[in-house]
Amino acid sequence: MKNPVGPILRMGDEVEQIIAAIEDDNPDHEIEVIDRGSYIRVQGEDRLVVTQDTLRAYLGADYEIRTFESMMSSFNGRITTTSDSITWEKVSAKKNALAREGARS
Amino acid sequence: MTLLKREEWQHFVRDVDWTFRYVDDEAVFPEWHSGTGKVPREAWLSWEENYKVTYPEYVATQREKEASAYAVKAALQRSTAFDNLDEGWKSSTKMHFGGVALVEYAAVLGELKMARFGLNGAWRNMATFGQLDELRHAQITTFFGHEFVGKDPQYDWTQKTFHTNDWVPIALRNLFDNMMISPNVVDLAIELPFTFETGFTNLQFVALSADALESGDVNFANMISSIQTDEARHSQQGGPTMEILVEHDPVRAQWVIDRSFWGSARAFAALTGPAMDYYTPLEHRKQSYREFMEEWIIDQFIHTIEDYGLKKPWFWDEFMRGLDTWHHGLHMGLWYWRPTLWWRPKAGVSKDEREWLQEKYPNWEKVYGGKWDTMIDNINANNVEATLPETLPWLCSMCHLPACNATQSRDGTWRVRDWSLSYGGKTYHFCTNACRQIWWKDRDNVNHETLIDRFLAGQIQPMDVGGILNYMGMTPDVMGDDPDYAAWTKDYTGRPATGLALSTAKGDQS
Repeated sequence: MKNPVGPILRMGDEVEQIIAAIEDDNPDHEIEVIDRGSYIRVQGEDRLVVTQDTLRAYLGADYEIRTFESMMSSFNGRITTTSDSITWEKVSAKKNALAREGARS
Repeated sequence: MTLLKREEWQHFVRDVDWTFRYVDDEAVFPEWHSGTGKVPREAWLSWEENYKVTYPEYVATQREKEASAYAVKAALQRSTAFDNLDEGWKSSTKMHFGGVALVEYAAVLGELKMARFGLNGAWRNMATFGQLDELRHAQITTFFGHEFVGKDPQYDWTQKTFHTNDWVPIALRNLFDNMMISPNVVDLAIELPFTFETGFTNLQFVALSADALESGDVNFANMISSIQTDEARHSQQGGPTMEILVEHDPVRAQWVIDRSFWGSARAFAALTGPAMDYYTPLEHRKQSYREFMEEWIIDQFIHTIEDYGLKKPWFWDEFMRGLDTWHHGLHMGLWYWRPTLWWRPKAGVSKDEREWLQEKYPNWEKVYGGKWDTMIDNINANNVEATLPETLPWLCSMCHLPACNATQSRDGTWRVRDWSLSYGGKTYHFCTNACRQIWWKDRDNVNHETLIDRFLAGQIQPMDVGGILNYMGMTPDVMGDDPDYAAWTKDYTGRPATGLALSTAKGDQS
């Protein structure tokens, strides 16, 4: 994988469901899962996203996306957290997107 | 009740920069603390964090993290989990508790400095959470270590280490004072959150948790990986600062990364390296130190800095070569000067362990095998005395670690080199070329005196091993020793002695 991005999850009961949610939210991405026991690297090329809706489908209707933080010991790439989703992308991706917007305007 | 989404209100409460009417900007954000340098003041208006959190979210999530960490601790307190841990692994944790607890507190001060002098309201807001995080880490580390004081007095150094003049905390104070206490906030954000917390702490807090769990230390694995979830968030103060600095002053950005990268790499070679490759029982090692470094630093961190438009540090080749030598030399030094440590360093060089080391580091036997053979033969000849220190190692004037790095000469031989520098009528000695260069560029900094400097200046009396140990705060009940000599020497009993041990044995006979 050339530009792997994504979360590094600590051990916990919810890891499998979280990986399933990430897979559902990124149907066009190959998701690589590297299990080192106490931590699990979940990564995809260039950009991965996970949404609160999908996480709720796996973890219950009362799951709040803010609690994702307590599972994520680290991550690769640039993260963007909103109240509905978390995105990991290549650091330069945002810069390039801004440059494209600038070119259009 | 429907709450507003965070995106609909956070910018109102967070962006609290207003125009001062009674004082000028310099009075509020003085250059020596705020450090804008060549970056125009207005450039900081665009600083924006990507990992957003609000105060209500912060409090709720932190409460859950704490509840979960303490629940695991409470559950295991009643078990025999601790008593069944390997002495080598326990040493990894003693080193961690002592080496980390009060550094977390120094990080509180660093975060508070950014919370006050950061050049954007969003930055100051994030640093406010950051200082609460670091306060949690100082407390949880001290408290978790304290639990074991009754079982083993070495755990008392969890709280004590940084209040002593042991050479290890002197080295770490030199590193962290430069990283967390003295810099202006722009440099601090690059050194601490960006380089140290996005890069290196992952090794000690995430990678090492893999070995911890394998070794059966669920409590420790849970504590450190919980701590790192805070770091993953507040380390994100580094990125936006880096983006603005790279745009206006890339030379400064590169230099600040380079020097903090090097200092961190040296310290982790001394602490994380031996823990992963020698103290963790062989059957519980997930990967070698080098492999963890490749995963977390070479691949992940370097990828990140290149994405920001920076280059690999200028010392890259020297650093990469050091991955095969630094921590092996430092491990041998830690073991040899074991009475100066608050843990029990295990040599970890039985036949099986050496095979593993040779497989992971193809030059291991050539560079280190013979030296360990001498130790082994001395132990097997009941001559432990010969493996104990009577003198001091030279400590590098930059990183304060023993100058013990073997490098290969053109003729293929491996030697420990000295990089020296004369300045102001004094000759300084360094463990590596990059330590010398960083010291030269930073020569106006106030650096701590190394333990050797203090010794030579007559500050340590009496000038013998007893005097030195006393100066370091070492007491006989804590002083480090190998936990199990037989474990790594019994494979070799009965073989003819070699090297220095041979000459000692002959001397005894005559």
